[in-house]
Order: sequence, then C-alpha cells, then structure tokens
Amino acid sequence: MASEIPLVLICGGIPALLLFLWVALWTIGYPLMFIWAVLTSSRKLDKRVTALVERETISKTHFGRDPLSTLRGEYHSSGVKKSGLVYSGVVFGPSHWHLLVAWWGNLIGGRIDILHRVIAAARAEAQQRLREQAQADGWDEVLNVRIDTAEMTPASQPKGVRAVEVFAYGTGVKYG
Amino acid sequence: MTSLLGNMQHVVEGIIVVNTETIAGKMITQNLGVVGGSTVRAKHVGKDIGAFFKNIGGGELKAYTELLEESRSEAIGRMVADAAARGANAIVNVRFATSAVTGGAAELFAYGTAVKVE
Repeated sequence: MASEIPLVLICGGIPALLLFLWVALWTIGYPLMFIWAVLTSSRKLDKRVTALVERETISKTHFGRDPLSTLRGEYHSSGVKKSGLVYSGVVFGPSHWHLLVAWWGNLIGGRIDILHRVIAAARAEAQQRLREQAQADGWDEVLNVRIDTAEMTPASQPKGVRAVEVFAYGTGVKYG
Repeated sequence: MTSLLGNMQHVVEGIIVVNTETIAGKMITQNLGVVGGSTVRAKHVGKDIGAFFKNIGGGELKAYTELLEESRSEAIGRMVADAAARGANAIVNVRFATSAVTGGAAELFAYGTAVKVE
C-alpha cells in the first residue's frame, strides 16, 4: 500500500536511488565507454575525414570550384543580383582516449598530432557545412568567410564536456 | 539543417543581412548605427549528461550543435528586430561573438551596422 510507506522513506529513498544509479553509471558505464573509445574513436575520426573529402568533392563539382573565399568581392561588384548571410557551425570534441594520448604527448612536448587532427576535422566539417548550406540556399559563391572557434567549456571549469565549437559564416552572392 | 529562420538563412523580415562592408549592386544612403542581439541558452540536464557520455567517445556533439544553431538564429532575429525598429533595410558587416558563461550554456552575440540602401 502506497499510503503505508513512511514519508521519510520517500523523501530519502528517491534521491538515494538516483545517487546509486549515478554512481553505478560512473563505475560501470565509464570504463566501458572508455574502452569503447579506445577501440573506436580513432577509426571514427578517420572515417569522418574520408567522408568529408568525398562531400567536398561533391560540393566542388556542384559549384565548379571551391565556393568559399575570404575575399570581399569588390572585383565583381557588378553582376551580383542578390546577397545574404550564410552560416553553419559544429561542436566537436576529442574522445577521452585522445585526451589521454595528448596528455602523454604534453609530458614529452612538441607536436600533439592527435588533437591537431581533431580540430582540423572540426574546421573542415564547419566549412563543408557552409558549402552545403550555400548550395541549399542557392548561392553561387560565399565571400568574406570567417571561421570562429569557441570553447564550449570555460577554462575555469576543468571538468565537463571537452569540445570546441567551430562556426563559419560568410556572405552568399548570386550572379544575375 | 533546421533553424528558426528555416532553410533560407538570409531572409529575415525583408532585411538584407551580410558580413561584407557593402552590398553589391546597392548604395548605402544612411548609417543608422550599431545594432546587436544576444541570447544565453542551455540544454536541459538530461542532454548535458548525454553529451558528456558522448564526449567520452569523441566526435560531434549534436545536442550542442543544435543548441548553438538555435541560439544563433535567435540572436540574429533580435539584431534584425533592432534594425527594423530603426527603420533600416539592411545590416552590413555582421560579426559574431561567442562566450561560454558556464559549461553547457552559451552566450551568442551578433552585431552589425544598420543601414539604409537603395
């Protein structure tokens, strides 16, 4: 009978159960996830980079060349029919295995290749999404492209999600 | 990619938004000053926990990508509303700024110069 359960048990029991679940998730779930990360994260990154190259080829075939440029576009100010903002972003993080490898590399010093690869993939992804967005909106070219990077987690908080946000934006133009 | 603005990101209440200093084929006739819009947003805790576990394996965190996409559209929408209130019909030289207030919450700021073009 629900009415016979003392209030104390309800008040204390539910948080305790949640806490227990949380601890269980940490002690059992985390190591499993970590092992999974060790086994799959590098291959996953390689796969994404390979897919990106393919998507880039498709976009470049559609536009006839790379549609993105950092030029301001004064060189063809005549002939432009329409212009407007186009933007895209991606939040991308290294796996905890990559972070461990990077930490190890930090001790030795020098180039930390694994993190470089993660960030490079994130940037390429953001640019590719900008190309795809430009294609969806019907632009012929994207001028004045800027690429911003922002940390999702502030440096003052050492724990939590480790990820960077890459945001790309530019002005799409359409020739008449 | 879905955003508040729909698929056509540049169509916002009839106001032309660009990040170049000039709009090709148009002449700026009046400068109406700096306009901006910002928003701070967070996902709920469930999504945060999900993102944390996703983060262990690395790769894209879709929940956060969406969060930033939505917030950015909202910031742009506010900037455009500001410009519309001043009677502008275009915003040029738009910039974006991001800051992480706390983990999982992001402040997005969009600003530019409201102008009248012909």
